Amino acid sequence: MGQEAAYCLSAGVQVRREKFGLLFYDYRGPRLYFAPTRDLIQEGFFGGQVTVADLTGEICGANGGWPRKIVQGWIERTLETLVGKGLICEQSVC
Amino acid sequence: MSNPYVDLGLSAPVNVSWEVTFACNLSCLHCVSDSGPKRNGELTTEECRRMIDTLASMKVFQVNIGGGEPFLRKDFLDLMDYAHQKGIVTCISTNGTLIDDQIAGRLDNGLVYLQVSLDGARAETNDAIRGEGSFRSALRALECLSKRGLGVSINTVLTRLSFPELDQLEGLADSFGAKFRVSRFRPSGRGKANWSELSVSKEDLLLFSEWLSRHQQVSTGDSFFSVSHEDRKSLGLNMCGACKLTCCVSPLGEVYPCAFLQEKEFLAGKLPQDSLQFIWENAPVFHSFRELEIRSCESCLRFDFCHGGCPAMAYHTQRRLGLPDPECLANCVTRLPVTAWRHETGDHCGPGSSGN
Repeated sequence: MGQEAAYCLSAGVQVRREKFGLLFYDYRGPRLYFAPTRDLIQEGFFGGQVTVADLTGEICGANGGWPRKIVQGWIERTLETLVGKGLICEQSVC
Repeated sequence: MSNPYVDLGLSAPVNVSWEVTFACNLSCLHCVSDSGPKRNGELTTEECRRMIDTLASMKVFQVNIGGGEPFLRKDFLDLMDYAHQKGIVTCISTNGTLIDDQIAGRLDNGLVYLQVSLDGARAETNDAIRGEGSFRSALRALECLSKRGLGVSINTVLTRLSFPELDQLEGLADSFGAKFRVSRFRPSGRGKANWSELSVSKEDLLLFSEWLSRHQQVSTGDSFFSVSHEDRKSLGLNMCGACKLTCCVSPLGEVYPCAFLQEKEFLAGKLPQDSLQFIWENAPVFHSFRELEIRSCESCLRFDFCHGGCPAMAYHTQRRLGLPDPECLANCVTRLPVTAWRHETGDHCGPGSSGN
């Protein structure tokens, strides 16, 4: 998983914001997945345009003082889980 | 433990059951909405379009369409097109009588799932519940839908008549490349009058529970968490989703906790006068449902599997919410001699103190 990677929703998957974070719905199941991301990742991130580096910068910027390395690690683990569950896929940014 | 994220309260339902008309060309003995002729006051086309706008703006993921027979509405396919344009996934429950190649073609857009109702693997069994000729019509619909590769399942309500034919029904579904789904019979709508004649015995529910464990590919929606063993825990919800994950809209625009509780005392609001978002967030009926605790079940060994079961079952059989589901597995096994439930359940669980 590179810092320049961007992600989009897999076919048949929708997402919306909730108090705890993001709620994914996979039509192929159908099944739900609750991602406790609080307000750190917005649904718009999964439009395939924003990179992991951008998101890391945004989160660190909005939460002054958060260590970049820790934020980056959290984002990577979160995205890996979502990829592993087939909810999102990596997209190359042109 | 229930789902902590759901307990925080969701901003909108995950799915909404929408009964689009009371009109039906069949007269099934177990019909939950007592459908027949179209009734005065059903939502107009424009009101339905506005409701779809609301569902889309609330980001409701899926709408489960039922009735009556949805395809009897002249504007039904246009409404579905409108919902799909907005990205809403629909699951349509139909008796199949009106489905032909042309309709199947119109639905072939990747956002539709269809459930064709069939209550027996033989015409004789099915038609005894659903009416003369309904078996043949359903098979014709399944053929049209499966030919196009549409997502389709056979949906069977578990009754005394359908129970002995579950294996054949599963085989029939397989022959059409369809999934097989079993739904719970509840004593609401026309089901009230036919409850004693059609409901399965506690002994058969135990056998059905074992059958489900052997048939993991068979889906049950939210119908049978009350009798499912641990091995099915990952296949679906283990709690009632009414007012937490879902709600129901009647053909008249009335909003209820679920399709099986369409009773005056559970009316939460009415569209289009009230907004669905407002009802979801504020209706006292919905709030009280979210706070509903079936305390007498809390010490049961199976509590984590079912959280007290289906409140609609408790209401329809005992006229009160907050009581244990009378057909939960623990209630079933306590009706049998100890040796029988040990044999039947393989000691997965014992009879809990479910307060019956």
